[in-house]
Amino acid sequence: MRNDLRDDVLFDEVRLRRALRLEAAELPPRFDLATIVAQAEPRRPASAFAALLSTAVAGVAAAGLAGLVVVALLTIAPAVASEVFDAAIQILARAAVPASAIVATAQQPGISVAATFALAVAVAYEYAQRRERVHAVSS
Amino acid sequence: MAASVALRLDLPMTLASPATFADGVREHQDEVYGVALRITGDRDAALDVTSATFLNAFRAFHRYDASRPLRHWLLRIATNEAISYVRKRGRELRRSVGVEQATTLADSNATPDAESVAREDRARIRAAVSRLPELYRVVIVLRYFNELSVDEIAHVTGRPASTVGVQLLRGRALLRGALENEQ
Repeated sequence: MRNDLRDDVLFDEVRLRRALRLEAAELPPRFDLATIVAQAEPRRPASAFAALLSTAVAGVAAAGLAGLVVVALLTIAPAVASEVFDAAIQILARAAVPASAIVATAQQPGISVAATFALAVAVAYEYAQRRERVHAVSS
Repeated sequence: MAASVALRLDLPMTLASPATFADGVREHQDEVYGVALRITGDRDAALDVTSATFLNAFRAFHRYDASRPLRHWLLRIATNEAISYVRKRGRELRRSVGVEQATTLADSNATPDAESVAREDRARIRAAVSRLPELYRVVIVLRYFNELSVDEIAHVTGRPASTVGVQLLRGRALLRGALENEQ
């Protein structure tokens, strides 16, 4: 039993070693030490300065662009707002002309008395009509 | 070239003789690439990991303890790089390897001679290794690809030797189970 287990383990280990071994087709290309060194090298001062300069220029350009957008918005915003306000006032004025005539008419004393009387007549008429309908159904 | 490497790093010559790093790259690049390939299961990933390993080793060469084998130090960096890579790519990478291996296995035109059977067996084992949990995959690769002892694996991975022993047993049991389930 112990020997069987040992054989099994050995077989597994041999299979594993064979399977994991690198085959000829899997071998990597040669790694170039010069490339590694070049990658590891710190940046040269000239390129670092150029990078810093280009970053600064890009930053200034971005800030200028953002400022331009803000100024443009601030310039356009009052004009747009005043146009919208003008249009609203005009619409209001057009509506106010006929409305004022109606309001002036309604303010006359005779109109309110007549309107109250007309309302009372309408209520009485409706009441009479309902009573007639109820009477017709019940008889 | 090697001398300039040592000079650029401003290393004490006793610690890093001019040829050490260059020799290390030359001597161990296949092994470093192999451990990266077997852990990541992907050729391109292995190339990336190997490049990153040598780059990091070059940068940290002043911290290398020359009394210990360079091979172990490089394998330690490579293992850590490969683990980081696998964690980043994670499931996506393992899935693609599985598909590749499955395609290989599903090749019905393969002639059933001894060589193709052995190739198929190797592909199955590699696929099973690439699907092992990272914890076991690393020790299995270091043991059966790099031929390291349990103590050496413990040194490379920074795990206790007893843990490595248990992980090897458990990893092999998982592999055997996976291979038996396939049959």
